[in-house]
Amino acid sequence: MTIRNSSDLLTATLFLAFGGGVLLYNGTHYSIGTLARMGAGCYPMLLCLGLIAMGGILMVQALIDPDEAVDAIDIRPVALLVLATLLFGLLIEHAGLLASSMMLVLAARFADRDAALAESAVLAAALTGIATGLFWYALGLPFSLLPF
Amino acid sequence: MGFFQDLAFGFSIALLPVNLLYAFVGVVLGTLVGVLPGLGPVATISILLPVTFTLEPQQAMIMLAGIYYGAQYGGSTTAILVNLPGESSSVVTTIDGYQMARKGEAGLALATAALASFFAGTVSTFIIALAAPALAEVALKFGPADYCSLLVFGLVGAVILAHGSVVKAIGMILIGMLIGTIGIDVNTSVPRFTFGIPQFGDGIDFAVIAMGIFGIGETIANLTQGEEQRGRVAGALRLWPSWRDLRAIFPPSVRGTMLGAALGVLPGGGPVLASFSAYALEKRLARQPERFGKGAIEGVAAPEAANNAAAQTSFIPLLTLGLPSNAVMALMIGALMMHGLHPGPQLMRDKPELFWGLIASMWVGNLMLVVLNLPLVGLWARLLAIPYRFLYPGILLICCIGVYSINNSALDVVIASLFGLFGYGLQRLRCEPAPLLLGFILGPLIEENLRRALLISHGDAAVFIERPISATFLALTVALVVVLAAPTIRGARERAFNEG
Repeated sequence: MTIRNSSDLLTATLFLAFGGGVLLYNGTHYSIGTLARMGAGCYPMLLCLGLIAMGGILMVQALIDPDEAVDAIDIRPVALLVLATLLFGLLIEHAGLLASSMMLVLAARFADRDAALAESAVLAAALTGIATGLFWYALGLPFSLLPF
Repeated sequence: MGFFQDLAFGFSIALLPVNLLYAFVGVVLGTLVGVLPGLGPVATISILLPVTFTLEPQQAMIMLAGIYYGAQYGGSTTAILVNLPGESSSVVTTIDGYQMARKGEAGLALATAALASFFAGTVSTFIIALAAPALAEVALKFGPADYCSLLVFGLVGAVILAHGSVVKAIGMILIGMLIGTIGIDVNTSVPRFTFGIPQFGDGIDFAVIAMGIFGIGETIANLTQGEEQRGRVAGALRLWPSWRDLRAIFPPSVRGTMLGAALGVLPGGGPVLASFSAYALEKRLARQPERFGKGAIEGVAAPEAANNAAAQTSFIPLLTLGLPSNAVMALMIGALMMHGLHPGPQLMRDKPELFWGLIASMWVGNLMLVVLNLPLVGLWARLLAIPYRFLYPGILLICCIGVYSINNSALDVVIASLFGLFGYGLQRLRCEPAPLLLGFILGPLIEENLRRALLISHGDAAVFIERPISATFLALTVALVVVLAAPTIRGARERAFNEG
């Protein structure tokens, strides 16, 4: 029997790790209480036990009858799109709406290998303009546009 | 008497100019996202949640509901014209709809879809108005134990009837419920899993998770799958069906509506299941089943009626029991909660203008869709030409600005982007994220009712099987799990034996 990187196996690992980790943290930090007067830790504990049980079943399934393997992940678009949104979150309070929107669109466009720089710049300017018009001007959301 | 008064009251609300405006905005937006593949109603409603915060709850719900059923319309437009289902509920429509378009009957197919949907929408509006008050009456008698069991039944049912692995789906619910425990515990005032960050005291905002997973996560998934293939519009547009066509459309529309209305109420039912079942039923009833797949007009009418009926009746459990039967309904609960309203039997009593206004607005919205969309078909088809590379940065930008605007918190944007990554990971693991969202919404309600039930019974867990309503729901839950898990277990075992 060969063990493959099947999606079931990876999911089982995720369930077991998440359930086990939270169970441990929960057990050391919050009280369980009694059934009539549950402590803060009782309900999360039950959920963790359930999650671990699901992880266990899935693990057995995966070892007996592995499903399709998970293909390699194309890192570039994933990393750049997450980076783009993270950048927006980190910049918005300091650099203002205009700069952070431009950065987000540019970073997101570079997730695409065929992105042309000029086209991306125009798109960034256009989308920033639309977003500013919509959210700042029309809806009147309290953003600062520029760094100060 | 009461029934017509209530409906008339609803229409007096729905026909207010401001409500008409939001219904209009909703159905146009819905049609738009229905036409654009890669952007569904779940993502759109998640993205718009923060915007609805600035509206009155009534208008917010009317607009969001409009997006939901508008998307069913838009999805079928592209399914018929270019063989590209904009929504999963219009997958079946591609089979015969696109064949009709290739025969030069695109206009007729579109009109059929619109008329069948409108018929279904009209009937379901009445079904909701009739059934909902009765159900809410029953639901008001529920004790905490009953409610807890009902919620568990709803959660498990919603998951099992959807596609994919049952075990994974239950795991996803549990993860969602665990994320739902973040924040100050209401009963003991202990801050749970806040890691000393004060902002976590109120828990993570629902919209942040929804936008992260559905907005950002799906954008990542779409982009890594590469550019979608796009087709061309085929055939001239003769819109209006002849008398003979109408007679051919009517019976399948009635059957599709009935089937869809019934399936929509079930947890996990909803438009997708309804459209597939209605198509299968028509094919079985047809005198010449070989016509199906070659442009049979029944094959367009029945699933379109069914998906629209189901989209509407799935509001019944939401409005009367506070139970979302699918991901869109979970978002609706989220939207109501953001306005400090708890969906459930009290809603109809405390907020009749919202309840009846929403129901009446569904009919108004359906009418708008028929009137608007038929002339605009050409425009919608042309929208398909917008390349995804221009769309996705815009989607991301709206997501980020939306998340930030909820609390003016940059931390929320960071959390959403991490949930985006998590959501993409789940997609790769073939775990559906919708159950996680259902768990996140219902988890705190289950905990509250569980603790209250056990407090009343002095810690006697037997209360859940001693109360007949609660026992019934638990028995149904167990039966559902056994019936649906059995074949997969058996199948796996047989395969294992064969290999050995």
